[in-house]
Amino acid sequence: MQRRALLAVAALFGGAGMLWATAPAPPAKAPAVPQRIVSINLCADQLVLALADRKQIAGLTKNATDIEMSGEATKARGLPLLSNSAEQILAIEPDLIVGMPASRSAALRALPEESYPLLDLNTANTLDEIYTSIRQTAVAVGHPERGNALIARMEGELAGLPKPGKGRIAAYYQRRGYMTGTGTLIDELMTRVGLVNLAGKLGKPPLSQLSIEEMVAAQPDYLIVESATDKVTDQGSEMLHHPALKDIPRISVPQAWTVCGSPAYTQAARSMADQIAKLEGQGA
Amino acid sequence: MSRFALPRWSLIAALSALTLVAAVASLLFGAVDLSVARLIDAAMGSEDKVASIILFDLRLPRTILALAVGAMLGLAGAALQGYLRNPLAEPSVLGTSNAAALGGVAAIYFGLAEIHPVVLPVLATGGALLSLALLFILSGKAESPLTLILAGIAVGTLAVAGTSLALNLSPNPFAAMEIMTWLLGSLENRSFDHVWIALPCIAIGTAMLLWNGRALDALTLGEDAAQALGTDLRRTRLRLLIGTAIGVGGAVAVTGAIGFVGLIVPHLIRPLTDRSPSAILLPSAIGGAALLTLADLGVRIIPTTNELKLGVVTAFLGVPVFLVHLMRERRLW
Repeated sequence: MQRRALLAVAALFGGAGMLWATAPAPPAKAPAVPQRIVSINLCADQLVLALADRKQIAGLTKNATDIEMSGEATKARGLPLLSNSAEQILAIEPDLIVGMPASRSAALRALPEESYPLLDLNTANTLDEIYTSIRQTAVAVGHPERGNALIARMEGELAGLPKPGKGRIAAYYQRRGYMTGTGTLIDELMTRVGLVNLAGKLGKPPLSQLSIEEMVAAQPDYLIVESATDKVTDQGSEMLHHPALKDIPRISVPQAWTVCGSPAYTQAARSMADQIAKLEGQGA
Repeated sequence: MSRFALPRWSLIAALSALTLVAAVASLLFGAVDLSVARLIDAAMGSEDKVASIILFDLRLPRTILALAVGAMLGLAGAALQGYLRNPLAEPSVLGTSNAAALGGVAAIYFGLAEIHPVVLPVLATGGALLSLALLFILSGKAESPLTLILAGIAVGTLAVAGTSLALNLSPNPFAAMEIMTWLLGSLENRSFDHVWIALPCIAIGTAMLLWNGRALDALTLGEDAAQALGTDLRRTRLRLLIGTAIGVGGAVAVTGAIGFVGLIVPHLIRPLTDRSPSAILLPSAIGGAALLTLADLGVRIIPTTNELKLGVVTAFLGVPVFLVHLMRERRLW
């Protein structure tokens, strides 16, 4: 009995030794239709959920089921969620790892190099970049036709979208006074519904901090806020409810639709256009 | 007796004038440059919406809070230094500030602050009161100020550990930033809602601490002598601790824990008085109001990408002054 256990231990160590001895291997190549896909980024989660079959998905990030953060959260329920740990990834033996980009992940650096096929996606800051990510992911998970269909659907949804903003100024105002600037997905969404980004007008960088006092002085026509901050949960969200801001009309968009370049882009654009039209109606 | 001792009324008048200047400056300067004429027009009720919102909804509540919280911290420091006869005493030495901050952080962590905005200050004051209960248990019947200080350090350390634990357990992804604000203190983005939360607590705390003047003077003769003179030490201590808890709890609930004000102000004031503990109580309150208002003005004027935390400025202002005074005072204490 004891002897057998010893043998098993010896085999284990021997195996590990062989594993090290074989590195460096050529970059691993994903099968045409991978069956154990692991996503290590919240934004990649959403693309994988939208494009792969459920049974192909072997792991998502731990925030994938959070409806505040992910537009595809309901689909993620019941799928395995991973913390950012190399051990869990090792245990799954994925045949595709999707990240943004995957190759810069700390967890993957802990693993032997080039041991898994990777899909490196770029952070999407424009609609075209979202389409590119969708195409890349669709090909990598083995369903290129789904990618094209999704893009066609999104184009259709955006084609009929009105531009009710009429050049009015809006500020995307986040907790603790952070304001989203130009060159971002938010900025593109604003332009799409006919709004002008206050950050661009003030010449601010993609992310800047603007005090309430400066916001009051800048007098934007609309404040766009994350719907999660509609309720005061801490000092950071409390500031968005300061009485000094109460006269500026608000557009509230779930962060889940805007934080990632994902298919939810069209929902965000539609929601913003509807809310502007509604505020317009009240004003008239 | 100090060479610099001023008549009491002239000291109070001079400090009040300084406080008034600080308060007016706090209304005049901010992130946005507004001309004095425009602000005066807004104060007179002109149609200038931007200026009147900035003046009445932003700068006025901020100034009122700086004055009230500064006064509370200065007074609490003066009273505690007098009672403990220890130049290092201030609310944080007794663990009151830290425990109040823990109460506030717990309100956020357990999501209780969402139920009603008042839950936050109530828990902060509750945390401060709880720290006092612990303090009584730890220091027991001993009347020695040293026992109390050691007990305060234990309670304060426990509160800081609890705050870190809350941070580690918190589901809020922004918790680290929230808790930093709690521990360094800030008057940014305060509104009249906060003023109405803090002012009643500070009023109660101030009244209880000012009441103690005579007992503190008697205590300078030593505890036995004070008791012989008819001072009820336990009642004095109870008033002192509860007044500190309610006042500091209310202040910390809306600004976070701002250090050093309670430590510095009495040291700046003391040489200008006859050095009796009762003589520095009211001047320390007024001086604390002036100091915190000026520090908050500094926070707004010093150009940084993100607004400085108030506790950083009070520490930079406070530590050098404190060291100089500590060197000088060593002979006197």
